[in-house]
Amino acid sequence: MTARTNESTNALDSSASVEARLAALELAHQHALREIAELKGRDTLKTQFLANISHDLRTPLTAIITHAEILRDGILGELSARQHESVAGIIGGGRRLLEMVGEILTYARGAANQLEIVPSEVAVVDVIEQVRRLNESLVARKHLRLEVHVAADVPRVWADREKLAHILGNLLGNAIDFTPSGGRVWVHATARHEADRDTVLIEVGDSGIGIAADHHELIFQEFAQVDASASRQHHGTGLGLTIARRLVELHGGRIWLESELGEGSRFFFTLPTQRQS
Amino acid sequence: MTKEETRPLVLIVDDSPHVTGPLRILFEETGRRVVVADSIDSAVRACEAEHVDLMLLDVTLPDGDGLSVLEILRDRPALPTVTVALTGHDDDLTVQRCRAAGCRDVLLKPVPVRDLLRHAAEWLPERVASA
Repeated sequence: MTARTNESTNALDSSASVEARLAALELAHQHALREIAELKGRDTLKTQFLANISHDLRTPLTAIITHAEILRDGILGELSARQHESVAGIIGGGRRLLEMVGEILTYARGAANQLEIVPSEVAVVDVIEQVRRLNESLVARKHLRLEVHVAADVPRVWADREKLAHILGNLLGNAIDFTPSGGRVWVHATARHEADRDTVLIEVGDSGIGIAADHHELIFQEFAQVDASASRQHHGTGLGLTIARRLVELHGGRIWLESELGEGSRFFFTLPTQRQS
Repeated sequence: MTKEETRPLVLIVDDSPHVTGPLRILFEETGRRVVVADSIDSAVRACEAEHVDLMLLDVTLPDGDGLSVLEILRDRPALPTVTVALTGHDDDLTVQRCRAAGCRDVLLKPVPVRDLLRHAAEWLPERVASA
């Protein structure tokens, strides 16, 4: 950094010749380029580390969960009610941790441009049903009303089924998480014609706490949180929307939201109905 | 024939003891014999040593693509009766690849124990009844 300061000072030194100042400027420029390249390299290494460590964390977690399920199912002998409760806690915690590790792995792969989609023709209604079933018990536990409506004319989308389930899971998970007991969450899908192509518009909405307008862009950014205390209250990695946006964009779609504080949130995203050229 | 020899043989192919350890306990405690292999090479040798009724196969092994075990044993008596892939990803491409290679099912790790036992009863029907 000292060298660059000296070079910059020389470049600004009005008593020096124009040639000398230009040469000093060029030196400073080269130095800045080297620093940028080095920082980018370090960022790539860090992202790769994150991807590697997340992948390696999955395997021992698999062992913990499977051993605990063997105990739970009485394969090594019957458990008492309290032992059951305790083992169920290990399994529940393990599965939640596995989800979070998976989320970090997806984020890291996305950041390293290693995320790929394997698209095929997918019926949106099937994926919504899959995600609805996965969240059924959580919805019931919070006494929420979950409404699903897929218009009859919604065509198949050209999407990676697993990634679409991931996007929907993240959005619906947030909707459930940020909606107080007794509230309403919904998933709607409609056909939509945009300027040059047909798409399907999917809306995931809730009657929850809402998001102020000046935070609408911020919440899609990694490492950014609207309210740090909110993330502590509403668990998770805080990467869900960043990942959702990246996955939607990989499909050639768009994602946005409409929301106000205290007025609930409506997240929208589009998916193409035909193979992208 | 001794009782030991009539029990179905399960071959678990995975290079991590974190995966093979609990699966060995699960299958041995429910009336099956278990052999573990940690590479393509050792999996092929295990299949050649004794007929395998069920092979649980990780698709990513230290010496290459796990599915090549099926490729090597294709049309040979040493080919296991049933092969099921255990993977970290169940995207459409992986599922298609595993099925094309001859896998009966493709399961995402960690497979819930209840699902695994239910599937095992389908994969090893007659032997389970006598176990």
